[in-house]
Amino acid sequence: MMNKNNRDIRVPAIWDRSGLPGWCYHSPALLELEKEHIFKTHWQIACHVSDVPEVGSFQTFDMCGERAIILRDSDRKVRAFHNICRHRGSRLVVKDNGICKNALVCPFHGWVYNLDGTLRGAARPDSFPELDKHKFGLRTIDFEIWNGFVFVRFKKGPQPAVKELLEPFAREAAGYNMADHVPVGELWHGQSPVNWKSVRDVDNEGYHVAMAHPALQDLYGATYADEPYVNGVSRSDGKFTQSSGRRWAVRNYKKMSKPQEHLPESLHRSWLYYGLFPNAVIAATPETILFYQEFPLSTAKSQLRSGIYRNPVEDRQQRASRYLANRIDRETVKEDIQLTIWSNESMASDSFEGFYLSDLEYGVRSHHDHLRAILPIYNVKQAPIEDDVKTLNTSLGNTGAQ
Amino acid sequence: VTTGTGNPDEFDRQKTLLLSKVGDPGSGAVRYAAAMYFFNQKLLSCDVLEIYRRCCKFDNEDPVELAKFEKIEGFSPLSFNSGNRR
Repeated sequence: MMNKNNRDIRVPAIWDRSGLPGWCYHSPALLELEKEHIFKTHWQIACHVSDVPEVGSFQTFDMCGERAIILRDSDRKVRAFHNICRHRGSRLVVKDNGICKNALVCPFHGWVYNLDGTLRGAARPDSFPELDKHKFGLRTIDFEIWNGFVFVRFKKGPQPAVKELLEPFAREAAGYNMADHVPVGELWHGQSPVNWKSVRDVDNEGYHVAMAHPALQDLYGATYADEPYVNGVSRSDGKFTQSSGRRWAVRNYKKMSKPQEHLPESLHRSWLYYGLFPNAVIAATPETILFYQEFPLSTAKSQLRSGIYRNPVEDRQQRASRYLANRIDRETVKEDIQLTIWSNESMASDSFEGFYLSDLEYGVRSHHDHLRAILPIYNVKQAPIEDDVKTLNTSLGNTGAQ
Repeated sequence: VTTGTGNPDEFDRQKTLLLSKVGDPGSGAVRYAAAMYFFNQKLLSCDVLEIYRRCCKFDNEDPVELAKFEKIEGFSPLSFNSGNRR
């Protein structure tokens, strides 16, 4: 049975309610497989086109040892390159964002690249043979723009194009005019002392909302619902409840929320979340769109990254309601970070026997199933010898990783 | 590296960039990148390009003054006027 987005989101009557084995959350060998086969091979949100508004504007994106630069060239076209000089591999831009007014100049030896990525010239050109500007140009990265969000993929992988991946939500998402949004500020970066999967395990279910997120509960309460990951994407939404709101921010937000004229009425009083396997969410409220993502720095440390965007034109009331929405969201993020710490530390305990998930947490299971489909080693209940993890994974047979 | 496009607009633009005001943030790199453009046009020598490279990270360092100090010959093959550089 398909829902309105043509997705089968039913929770099976009988399903394995255990999560991933605890060892999966602290195995360095598994983490290396995850970097190669989960992160580098899957689409990652690098930024929004509005983060690179002018000719020469750039935004960088570092992940799992790889680094990208998103750049607007002289023809105002958005491009994506590896942030790696073709000479010795130095990063070409060292800041998170900025403007290269004329060209990219490597800070190591001074090779110069045009904004279209071609090599303008090597420093001390008399010390080199003739260099072809294309052959020695910046290496491009597979990238795609979906509703203004710039996705990159460091290595070819099993996912289809982003447009195809997110097709089930295309019509709904179009209502927000996401591509026209502008940044509220610079991208936010944070670190959390947990394995990346603990971040996702918390974010993939709303069972904890009533207990852990009083503001969200006050905002949309029992209307909140999660759709599991199906073909790499999930969806959640909550609709504003009829109550006026007990908490100051929620009460005033519900009172002040004033959607843009272009937004369809069905989205006027909703918060929406589109999950993208393996590690990202695009969320939309009547006032803002945003993305957030996490990726591993080590088995026990994750990088958190997010960006918030607003409609380019807004009146005072809309600006105030955006502030209130952000205040509710900030509170929620802080609460979630604590939950991820509690969830993650359980994985180190010999006494913890694994999850026993509610039907309301089927999103967690569906995410784990996506992971298992790529790395069958996740099915191994007891921690293997670290040196055997890669070989064992290969011997278990899979389609995604060899 | 192949020479530039030969586009007169680009030539003028790069000339403006080469003469970016000393002291402006990022101007050292802008001047060096422009110098590379004129090197490709065979209008600047290697020695002159090297002066711009040395000034690349120092927005307050005037390549003209450095070239004079270093007694670099033929610094201004394009007859760029350095009189209003500050």
